[in-house]
Amino acid sequence: MASAPASKYNSHSLENESIKRTSRDGVNRDLSEAVPRLPGETRITDKEVIYICPFNGPIKGRVYITNYRLYLRSLETPIFAFLNEEKFNVDGWMVYNPVEEYRRQGLPNHHWRISFINKCYELCDTYPALLVVPYRASDDDLRRVATFRSRNRIPVLSWIHPENKTVIVRCSQPLVGMSGKRNKDDEKYLDVIRETNRQISKLTIYDARPNVNAVANKATGGGYESDDAYHNTELFFLDIHNIHVMRESLKKVKDIVYPNVEESHWLSSLESTHWLEHIKLVLTGAIQVADKVSSGKSSVLVHCSDGWDRTAQLTSLAMLMLDSFYRSIEGFEILVQKEWISFGHKFASRIGHGDKNHADADRSPIFLQFIDCVWQMSKQFPTAFEFNERFLITILDHLYSCRFGTFLYNCESAREKQKVTERTVSLWSLINSNKDTYKNPFYTKEINRVLYPVASMRHLELWVNYYIRWNPRIKQQQPNPVEQRYVELLALRDEYIQRLEELQLASSAKLSDPSTSPSGPAQMMPHVHTHF
Amino acid sequence: MEHIRTTKVEQVKLLDRFSTNNKSLTGTLYLTATHLLFIDSHQKETWILHHHIALVEKLALTTSGCPLVIQCKNFRIVHFIVPRERDCHDIYNSLLQLSKQAKYEDLYAFSYNPKQNDSKRLQGWELIDLAEEYKRMGVPNSNWQLSDANREYKICETYPRELYVPRIASKPIIVGSSKFRSKGRFPVLSYYHHNKEAAICRCSQPLSGFSARCLEDEHLLQAISKANPVNRYMYVMDTRPKLNAMANRAAGKGYENEDNYSNIRFQFVGIENIHVMRSSLQKLLEVNGTKGLSVSDFYSGLESSGWLRHIKAVMDAAIFLAKAIMVENASVLVHCSDGWDRTSQVCSLGSLLLDSYYRTIKGFMVLIEKDWISFGHKFSERCGHLDGDPKEVSPVFTQFLECVWHLTEQFPQAFEFNEEFLLQIHEHIHSCQFGNFLGNCQKEREELKLKEKTYSLWPFLLDDQKKYLNPLYSSKSPKFSVLEPNTVSFNFKFWRNMYHQFDRTLHPRQSVFNIIMDMDEQNKQLEKDIKDLESKIKQCKKKQTDGILTKELLHSVHPESPTLKTSLCFKEQTLLPVNHALRTIEGSNPADNRYREYAEEFSKSEPGVVSLEYGVARMTC
Repeated sequence: MASAPASKYNSHSLENESIKRTSRDGVNRDLSEAVPRLPGETRITDKEVIYICPFNGPIKGRVYITNYRLYLRSLETPIFAFLNEEKFNVDGWMVYNPVEEYRRQGLPNHHWRISFINKCYELCDTYPALLVVPYRASDDDLRRVATFRSRNRIPVLSWIHPENKTVIVRCSQPLVGMSGKRNKDDEKYLDVIRETNRQISKLTIYDARPNVNAVANKATGGGYESDDAYHNTELFFLDIHNIHVMRESLKKVKDIVYPNVEESHWLSSLESTHWLEHIKLVLTGAIQVADKVSSGKSSVLVHCSDGWDRTAQLTSLAMLMLDSFYRSIEGFEILVQKEWISFGHKFASRIGHGDKNHADADRSPIFLQFIDCVWQMSKQFPTAFEFNERFLITILDHLYSCRFGTFLYNCESAREKQKVTERTVSLWSLINSNKDTYKNPFYTKEINRVLYPVASMRHLELWVNYYIRWNPRIKQQQPNPVEQRYVELLALRDEYIQRLEELQLASSAKLSDPSTSPSGPAQMMPHVHTHF
Repeated sequence: MEHIRTTKVEQVKLLDRFSTNNKSLTGTLYLTATHLLFIDSHQKETWILHHHIALVEKLALTTSGCPLVIQCKNFRIVHFIVPRERDCHDIYNSLLQLSKQAKYEDLYAFSYNPKQNDSKRLQGWELIDLAEEYKRMGVPNSNWQLSDANREYKICETYPRELYVPRIASKPIIVGSSKFRSKGRFPVLSYYHHNKEAAICRCSQPLSGFSARCLEDEHLLQAISKANPVNRYMYVMDTRPKLNAMANRAAGKGYENEDNYSNIRFQFVGIENIHVMRSSLQKLLEVNGTKGLSVSDFYSGLESSGWLRHIKAVMDAAIFLAKAIMVENASVLVHCSDGWDRTSQVCSLGSLLLDSYYRTIKGFMVLIEKDWISFGHKFSERCGHLDGDPKEVSPVFTQFLECVWHLTEQFPQAFEFNEEFLLQIHEHIHSCQFGNFLGNCQKEREELKLKEKTYSLWPFLLDDQKKYLNPLYSSKSPKFSVLEPNTVSFNFKFWRNMYHQFDRTLHPRQSVFNIIMDMDEQNKQLEKDIKDLESKIKQCKKKQTDGILTKELLHSVHPESPTLKTSLCFKEQTLLPVNHALRTIEGSNPADNRYREYAEEFSKSEPGVVSLEYGVARMTC
């Protein structure tokens, strides 16, 4: 639980690589003048100190003593990622190339085109530059639709089914408001999406929120697609709660496992956190989306309020269930990069990188919850994922660590402005340059398998190895004995095979050497070939 | 059979209890002398042994027919809908009769015939030899001896004939002590720790009432502590909650007064009695049986059932016991009220923690034979084999198995057997298919002539050993000589595969354990091939140097060359599913294209899918 979302410098990473910290440009600016002072407050003295923060460990800073107060100004540099000079032999920033990823999905095609309308983030500042939209929708249509969607987050394609061509589309809530406003362009646009696939009569809309929340959102101008306005659609609510509920839930999880693990009423305490209940709802929602696309053969539109929290969870989990590519290490990186980072999950606000306001209402463990869901899936399908638990934990560690630029800032446009890809190192550089550490030895590639996890209470567990890993009472079996045993066996097998081959060669040489019969070696060779 | 009126009913529906959309299968229901059999339209068979039936209920008539709900002791619940009420009534009545037999002789074990001759049957019974087991522990020795006091079951009817007691305890002391112990169950040796020279002893509660004393009993306890040359004090563990033990004093029973016994340290460990355990399990099953259970109901139900708390209590007691021996070198005497339920749990689990032998397949059988069967855990009453007092039924042994399961979860490398082994044993304590668990004590078993009339379970399990092997078992690792389990709350989990083993909503999936098993097999085969080839080469070399390598030899070598053999055997076995072979292409030697040919060969076989149905026994019984 040390990785509570509020802690900013918490970089207990699993690796202990020594990191050179030499560059200190711009750090030693004289900050004394920047201390906000009340009228009449005068500075008496200042001194450089190290403050042992009970939460974040030692922090270098300058303490100012005025006639009114003590004021500590941290001298810690801007986020470490910008100072990080680690070098890796692969560049993680190259992992995700949207054009390539859409091409992999078979896009553009007759019905979908890649649009550059958002090239300068003018249409929607929290969306990526590249969007996949229906072929029949013109750029003007898109602009008009944008006016009717919260934060201009229009419905765009996330994933297309390779065979039945049904799609997963994501967006934010429509701006229906109290008066029940309608927008012809939006209605038409949704119909165009539906018509990209002729087989379907109705477009399925999944609103991730509970029904009441969706209704309540009308008061602030939001809302949901009503039956009257949107013919040919079916709307379902998935009952997933908002970021505040999730934050409080995780806080309760922390309370029951840290500093002491709740002993006497463990089960009811665990229940009272509702954490697993939320996990269950998120997974159930994603299963419904995946099932609709795969078996129901219907295109699906997913949104919540702003379409960057619950929507990202649902689309990415559904894609993970549907598309085995995302279950590989690189595929998963692309999935995170695409559905979370590029589509503007507000990492900076949710995690609070470098922000001292730990109690900010914007904080929420949405991404952690997604990773937890992935972990639950990997428990149920031990052979389906190329990566192991360590991979997931490493991602979470660096979600908070600020060692890499991957999770910094709220959206692509901000990242571009800060030149994140030039100035920081990507987390995927670390992972991809050391892939073996993160591999699941049991991984078996199955191209067309759709995973349907069981989101039943009896199959969901608290992720002890993550949430309670700092507790000295839990003996973590590192490495995992099952994995370890298998790796040993694999190594043993390779060794045996090699020896066997050597022996076969030796024996065939032995036998053929003095042989007078020319058929001897010829006969031997095919055996050697067929046998490994 | 006189109880069976209808043997076959068609158009019966079997409801799927776990699916949310009320799916059902239609098929034919057959009633045989031993089983209820349902064959659905896909010819899939569901067998239910009459002895496994815990409860049959006929629910109110509905439009589609008459519902019949059957709850089994192995936690299966089946829900049939029989179209005609009369058929349903007939089956209901027959099952009521068949599931509750009045006599031992009517139990399945007496008619079960696996087609073995008598000598083989007898061999099966001799597979587990307790005298041999005590010898393995290192008794008799200078401090402990075999007592013949109970040779004719004269002192204690529920104990075995052969009992080990301290050498210095004379027969009058034993007899005297037995008179002061409930049901005559005086302190005897259960486990002897060879290195520490400390012992686990077991007995029943003393008849102390509020103030009664018995010098012989005090002498016997002293003898036990003297038999330990290292440590002069001993622990007396009363496994009951203190309140219960005190209440027992009013009935003239009770617990040892520390003042009367020299050198004892008395300790309560607070495991609840059989009635609490029975109703706890009942509550657990109610939670478990609820359809479409919400998250909060599941957890609050699980907690309020108290089941996992009871499991933890048993585990804590065993840990206390193991620590007393390992850390303090002290002998321990364990008792509860009669010394056949909680005492068996704690003694057997404690020995399991201390001695890695009991964590092997054979050793676990020995442990059950010793601490449960021979010392008179009342299997027939606790499992309700016969139509008896429902208040005597209690899941004491199930709890023991669950504790062991929790240990296997915490120490995946420490056990030779896997979960299926535990489930299979649980299946058979209720099945009455084998003689081992029939009756309530050794004397009763002898009177029933079980060894002549029935078969022993253990040889059948051993024959199937492969199915029960834990691929992660590392027998030699010193790390696992003594287990020190962690009883932090989150380590106690709901045992899904026991209480929910018939849930079919879970997709059949590839088990990582099977993959490991297959890989292990394959490696063994390769190892063998290498040896073969090496010896052949050695031979050749020898012959070459001798200069007698001839054409004939060459030809004779070729057809049976080990290369040929191996490739054949791989073809037959196709040990690894195709995907694995593919995986190893990346993992091992990328330049080697011969792997690919191999992979194609493998691809002809289906990936191994693990069926969730356990065990042959369910098919045969």
